[in-house]
Amino acid sequence: MAPKPIASPVPDAWYPSLSVFMLAIGLFVTASFFIYEATSSRRNRSLTKELITGAVASVFLGFGSLFLLLASGVYV
Amino acid sequence: MGLRFDLLLFTIALLSVPVLSDLILSRVDRRIDLTSQVVRTTSTLKVENAGSDLVSEVLLAFPDSQAKHLAYLSASSTEGKGKAKGSAVSFPVEIVHPKGMPPALTFYSVSLPKGLGKGDSLTLDVLVVFKGALQPFPEKITQADIQLVVFYETAYYLSPYAVKVQSLSVKLPDARIESFTKIENTKIHGSEIKYGPYENLPPFSYSPIVVHFEANQPFAIAQELVREIEISHWGNVQVTEHYNLVHGGAQSKGEFSRLDFQARPHVRGASAIRHLVAKLPPRVHSIYYRDEIGNISTSNLWGDHKKTEMVIEPRYPMFGGWRTAFTIGYSLPLQDFLFQSDGKRYVNISFGSPVNEVVIDTLIVKVVLPEGSADISVSAPFPVKQGQETKFSHLDLVGRPVVVLEKTNVVPEHNQHFQVYYKFSSLSMLTEPLMLISGFFFLFVTCIVYMHADLSISKSSPSYLAKLQWDEVQAAVQQVRNIINRCLMIHDKLEASLRDLSRTGDVQACKSARKAFDGLLKDLSKDLKPLLASLQTSPQAAQILPKVEELVGKERDLQERMMAKHSTVVDSYEKKSSGREIENRVALQQQKITALRQEVDDLLDLIDEI
Repeated sequence: MAPKPIASPVPDAWYPSLSVFMLAIGLFVTASFFIYEATSSRRNRSLTKELITGAVASVFLGFGSLFLLLASGVYV
Repeated sequence: MGLRFDLLLFTIALLSVPVLSDLILSRVDRRIDLTSQVVRTTSTLKVENAGSDLVSEVLLAFPDSQAKHLAYLSASSTEGKGKAKGSAVSFPVEIVHPKGMPPALTFYSVSLPKGLGKGDSLTLDVLVVFKGALQPFPEKITQADIQLVVFYETAYYLSPYAVKVQSLSVKLPDARIESFTKIENTKIHGSEIKYGPYENLPPFSYSPIVVHFEANQPFAIAQELVREIEISHWGNVQVTEHYNLVHGGAQSKGEFSRLDFQARPHVRGASAIRHLVAKLPPRVHSIYYRDEIGNISTSNLWGDHKKTEMVIEPRYPMFGGWRTAFTIGYSLPLQDFLFQSDGKRYVNISFGSPVNEVVIDTLIVKVVLPEGSADISVSAPFPVKQGQETKFSHLDLVGRPVVVLEKTNVVPEHNQHFQVYYKFSSLSMLTEPLMLISGFFFLFVTCIVYMHADLSISKSSPSYLAKLQWDEVQAAVQQVRNIINRCLMIHDKLEASLRDLSRTGDVQACKSARKAFDGLLKDLSKDLKPLLASLQTSPQAAQILPKVEELVGKERDLQERMMAKHSTVVDSYEKKSSGREIENRVALQQQKITALRQEVDDLLDLIDEI
């Protein structure tokens, strides 16, 4: 079998825009999470909704900050 | 001269040693290149088997004084002749200690895999590179002096075999030649000295020669070079090289005048190192050149699609014995250096320094593989000392495996590619994002826990109880608001169904919609009842209750009027009244509905504020 070059799973050129978009979405979801925390009263706050919002926000923030690191030259 | 005398003595001793095998060298051409700080000797040996046995090895002899400088040795042979020349086949070379040989010689054995039969001949190209074989003489010079070096060699090829015809040519840089040994058949032609041809010399013939000449090329020696090659599967190979450089030529004495150096750089400071050229691979990016106190701005970079060249100048011109330390670093695209073959991944990258003029005393190459690599093995074209260590970098849990390769006496000929094989699962790449994600998720979970936890110390204090009740009131009011909002939405839908009616005239559909909305509204008012009851019993709600009740009342009113209007319009349609007539009939109702709607909205806002 001939040697096959290995490249990154995501093209390097996409890193900056990916990080901007994912961080924007992540921060938006984070904002909605905290608005929900602050406005809903303790009685009728739903734990599932909180956890789901938190999970979605952390997935976007996690990948967003990874791509931010990669775009700024910190290759993890 | 002492050295020369010793060598002569031992040459005489050598002449009594018996011939090793039946090989003879029918022709030996040697070319010695002294134009750089390393000495490159290219010898073409025509080996003939004069005996009857098959011979599978050829011995190369070097006096110990030369052998200690030997840095690189390769033996190859090109098959065919003239235009039909095939590719060069290189033979394995190893150091040997044959018995009955004089002690002051070091032997290297070239193994011929096919062997050499009776009467056969073979042309062997031997390239030997010596490091540090040029000795500065005088050893100390001032800034204005030129640098002179001496070189010792033998005019006759030192070999355990008899040599029929031989010649030697020594290529010197285009500069002054101070002196050279003249023996029979010595010619000088420009900057090239020719010895020979000499014929029919017995084994171990030796005739020392000394060449003393001007050599102003920089003697850049890296006492230690640490190259760190970090692989990231996210698309990058980061190379960092730490140089510890010294000028290995004649020591500088007296003071250094920057003025003289600037005014006449080629006279005052001819042997100084002004700049070095690093030949980097193509598509290199993020290049830096710095030392301990920061960026060094005296560098230049240009490149095309085949190569990139970086000219780096040290902070000061380097004279003999002066030293400096600096770091260069650059990033390379992953796909040029990382490959996959047979389920294993391998890095294929050059071993030596990209700076061609530099020779290296100790070269340490560290290949940092991604976390989670296993089954690591190294394939290098020459023997190196191997080791392993672990490095902790960004987002690491157990550390990255590091392959450490160490080699002493490295010359530009060692700048060959080597391979590091390892196994790596692509899923391991997800550990880094997963770590970041879990970090953020932990933050959110902490917030949730904080918001849900009851942190008050006294669970029976009146203020705490009051707070609990107030929470309950708030929850109830919020639910009431939600229900009212849903009612308002249903009103909007009723209006929409009326508009549909006026557009399509489908009375049946409008009626069924009305029925569905009626049911919904009934359910909602049923939900509202317990909430209102709980608000009425709670003392905390005293302030807000009147507003809530007013809101509920207004909403009910609004609802009734809405229904009345709806019925009226539907009736009129069934009676086939004209559009204008219907409008007149509902105009009054419509006015009241709008006013009520406004009041309900105001009340909702008011409750929001409380």
